[in-house]
Amino acid sequence: MFSYYLALALRSLKRNLVLTVLMIAAIGVGIGALMTTLTLFRAMDADPIPQKSRQLYAVQIDNWGPSKSLPGLGDSENLQPQISYTDAMALMHAHAAARQTVAYVTGAALTPANPDLRPFQVVMRAAYTDFFAMFAVPFQFGGPWSAADDEGRADVVVLSKDLNDKLFSGANSVGKSINIDGRDYRVLGVLSRWQPMPKFYDLNNNQFGTPEEVFLPFTRAIESQMSTWGNSNCSGSERDAGWEGTLRSECVWLQFWAELPTAADAAHYREFLNNYAAEQRRAGRFTWPPHTRIRDVREWLTYQHVVSQEVRILVLVSFSFLLVCLLNAMGLMLAKIMGRAPDIGVRRALGANRRAIFAQCLIEAGVVGFAGGLLGLALTGLGLFGLRALLSEEAARLTDFGFVNVAIAIVISILSTMLAGLYPTWRAAHVQPAWQLKAQ
Amino acid sequence: MELGPILSAMRRNKVGAVLIAVQMAITLAILCNGLFIIEQRITLSQRPTGTDEANVFVITNQWAGNPPDLAALQQTDLAALRALPGVVDATVSQSFPLSGGGSTDGIGLNPDQKSETALSAVYLVDEHGIDALGVKLIAGRNFNTDEVVELHGFTDRKQAAAAIITRALAEKLFPGQNALGRPIYSLGEKKVIPIVGIVDQLQVPWVGASGWGSKFSEQSMLVPFRFVSTSYHYIVRTKPGQLIGLMQAAQKKLFEVNRGRVLQKTRSLTEARQKAYQDDIGLAIILGVVCAALVAVTAFGIVGLTSYWVAQRRRQIGIRRALGATKNAIVRYFQTENFLIAAAGAAVGIALAVSLNLWMVNAFEMQRLHVGYAVVGAIVVLLLGQVAVLWPAMKAASIPPALATRAV
Amino acid sequence: MLKMTHLSKAYRTEVVETFALRDFSIHVREGEFVAVTGPSGSGKTTFLTIAGLLEEFSGGEYQLDGANVRGLNDNQRSRLRNEKIGFIFQAFNLIADLNVQDNIDVPLRYRGFNAAERRRRIQEALGRVGLSARSRHYPAELSGGQQQRVAIARALAGSPRLLLADEPTGNLDTQMARGVLDLLEELHRDGATIVMVTHDPELAVRAQREVHIVDGQVVDLAAQPRLVATTSAAANT
Repeated sequence: MFSYYLALALRSLKRNLVLTVLMIAAIGVGIGALMTTLTLFRAMDADPIPQKSRQLYAVQIDNWGPSKSLPGLGDSENLQPQISYTDAMALMHAHAAARQTVAYVTGAALTPANPDLRPFQVVMRAAYTDFFAMFAVPFQFGGPWSAADDEGRADVVVLSKDLNDKLFSGANSVGKSINIDGRDYRVLGVLSRWQPMPKFYDLNNNQFGTPEEVFLPFTRAIESQMSTWGNSNCSGSERDAGWEGTLRSECVWLQFWAELPTAADAAHYREFLNNYAAEQRRAGRFTWPPHTRIRDVREWLTYQHVVSQEVRILVLVSFSFLLVCLLNAMGLMLAKIMGRAPDIGVRRALGANRRAIFAQCLIEAGVVGFAGGLLGLALTGLGLFGLRALLSEEAARLTDFGFVNVAIAIVISILSTMLAGLYPTWRAAHVQPAWQLKAQ
Repeated sequence: MELGPILSAMRRNKVGAVLIAVQMAITLAILCNGLFIIEQRITLSQRPTGTDEANVFVITNQWAGNPPDLAALQQTDLAALRALPGVVDATVSQSFPLSGGGSTDGIGLNPDQKSETALSAVYLVDEHGIDALGVKLIAGRNFNTDEVVELHGFTDRKQAAAAIITRALAEKLFPGQNALGRPIYSLGEKKVIPIVGIVDQLQVPWVGASGWGSKFSEQSMLVPFRFVSTSYHYIVRTKPGQLIGLMQAAQKKLFEVNRGRVLQKTRSLTEARQKAYQDDIGLAIILGVVCAALVAVTAFGIVGLTSYWVAQRRRQIGIRRALGATKNAIVRYFQTENFLIAAAGAAVGIALAVSLNLWMVNAFEMQRLHVGYAVVGAIVVLLLGQVAVLWPAMKAASIPPALATRAV
Repeated sequence: MLKMTHLSKAYRTEVVETFALRDFSIHVREGEFVAVTGPSGSGKTTFLTIAGLLEEFSGGEYQLDGANVRGLNDNQRSRLRNEKIGFIFQAFNLIADLNVQDNIDVPLRYRGFNAAERRRRIQEALGRVGLSARSRHYPAELSGGQQQRVAIARALAGSPRLLLADEPTGNLDTQMARGVLDLLEELHRDGATIVMVTHDPELAVRAQREVHIVDGQVVDLAAQPRLVATTSAAANT
């Protein structure tokens, strides 16, 4: 019977072409608006490392105490999103997690070996070797540096694919050397394309930016006094001049991540952190009860408000918009179906039961939904094209429309239109078969 | 106009009438809030920085190969830039308005204060800073040459010898008083910083509608430091009309002076403004498009449903015409009907708009909706209904009275 | 075939309860051609809608083809309508969107016949009414008499046990009406059971038997002067 209903639906849609076009247009516009914003939203709300997002934890330690805070920077719990060098080193040395790394972003000028080429700026990430294994960073050539390199503050680097393409035309550069700020570094590895979205491991700047171009041992960066290019917050506390002064200060400027495979590991780590804070209190550095927190990737993204206010507003608006479009389509469907009441009455008299009429009308709604979905997809493409032109490069990066979104658009469109069609359909099914005889 | 028959006809088309009313209500709610956000974002993006924006550009300089004596290199650069014909003045800073990155200091009124009296953005500049930015000094004086000292990177810990603050910061620190000459403290530091000058306006580097900087967007201070580091900004002000040419000339000149550098980015403040507010303007445009589409969809919905009602009541309308109703009376009938529906929709819509706004005030730290928007929105929706209903109503009016005499 | 005993049908409004049929009894045997007549508002159409299972009744019994239809749900009634009853309406009630063969196809679809069976029955029904050549025409392209013949073909296609006709010639001119009536008589001769509602006494006499309804009850025609029927003929449904 499905094919019969489908044929009837097409015939009926062809008959009231104006109403049909209005309905499809309304739904298409609604779906287009929704999918455009939903694409942004889904990209922002995406899990950047689904296989491990429940095992990787960002670590927070309150080293300022309840009396000191910068309004607008800390959260309601009065915790800072980054930690101090003192705490980071203590946690690294304690080695209480399966894997752990401290990291920060820095940058410098890279001077190419070819003297004809001008120096250019590179953005760098200082981290421990565990960084690569923890965040499942894919390698094209070579691999990460060793723990011994971390210990030995080795002059070694890992390059991003783009930088390797630029410097070595994409050839295997492992063993070659590059000059950064007047110092030579040996290339140990080259990444393949790696673009976690959002860039969860450091959300302080460019939450959807590309990862850094050069990775080097944290110990090397500290030794070379590479200052952070990210956020650094010093709560007005005394700090001595110079690099050593900054390292000893209570300024927070480092991200700390721990890999804790099981819930039990996480529980142990929480305990470990509190013990550490308690120890600091005994030592007189903290004068407040232990205040620490670990959050896994999903929690961290929520906590850091990765989905921007603007996109939330847009999603809200586009949902309401789709609602209006559906109400609109519902009114038109109602009009259409009531206009066909005589035909329905005849069909009922000829033996169609309520279910048959219901199915026929609902399939018609589904066809409208499908057509609306297709139109919606086209409009989504147009919308995303518009967004790319309007928004900043960083935001525009979020407008990739995947195959999943196509399916989502069609499914949402069909289901919502059928939902909107339920009432008109219900009315149709309750057209009295006797009505027709009496109405003459 | 007889309301009785209209109301009873509407009662028979209850669902259709309710659908239109609800559509209009939601349209109104989105329209009010949408227009409100658009207006806010556009206002936001047009806020002046207090600088001579049209004639200022910024070169971000990065030294390559870790050269020694960065301070001397910087002085050579600045001298070369200032010597370029058409350049009014040039300075060096760690930040600039519209850049989105900079430093903040908590300011206190006495040395033992635990929390700050005001937050302030800090621009590190030499005695050329005021001229190079083109900010307007309204009281006090510029920095003396002997007040300007070198600050070697962010890890250097020197206390400023003086400060020039914005009028807004002065008002925040010393409400209703003259701030000039008053002492202030960088939070946690014991050394007094005298206020030597007050500028009319200088925006903080962060421009977002929310987030860091949004709460103190006009509170800035200039402190007399030459920021010596491997990476910093040259801020150059040109004579009117010479900016474009000088942006090129300045870069060329700097490479002539020394090749061992990266000029990472050179942009005018006008370009920086465009980039800084790109997403705000983008949001405004998107919302504008959505609002327009929404109005169109609602209008077409009304056209569609009213046309259907007209078709349904053809015979009835024919009879009315036969009984002496004028064409105008028929048009008025549908207009009145739509007005009643739209009025109900607008009433619900205003309530919806206000609650939506209140929710957004809570969830997104948005501002309260101005009452004017609800009123304007309601008028728009009522007019929209009248315009949309016109075509089907005219069609109804053109139904011939003779229809009454014909069989169905 | 069709047997109603002490059947009643009441329409209830907020204020009053009016009986459209009251203590209504009728028995139509297999193969009969019965005309149901009566003045306007007498309950003829109500009788037909109940007989056709289009509406429920308030009291009494109704047996259709030996089965009691009281209390059947919508599904069961729909199936009975589909399988046992063929309708012929005054206004033909063809579906304007569908061409002749698709119109006849409608009840066959709901019957669940396969494509071949449907095709066979459509051909056969069209042959019966002499419109085989018009199978792809749309109702608007046919004369009134042809439309009614398509409607009859549609009613016949499912081989119903009972044909219910409501003023089958009401919308036709005299010549076309005669053709349609000839067709009904021919169907009757071939063994069909037909119940025809009409206000036209001339039509009624073509039936085997006439049942007269006044005020929702069957009255004995023999006891009434013939005049009643003729005067009421002026009324329109």
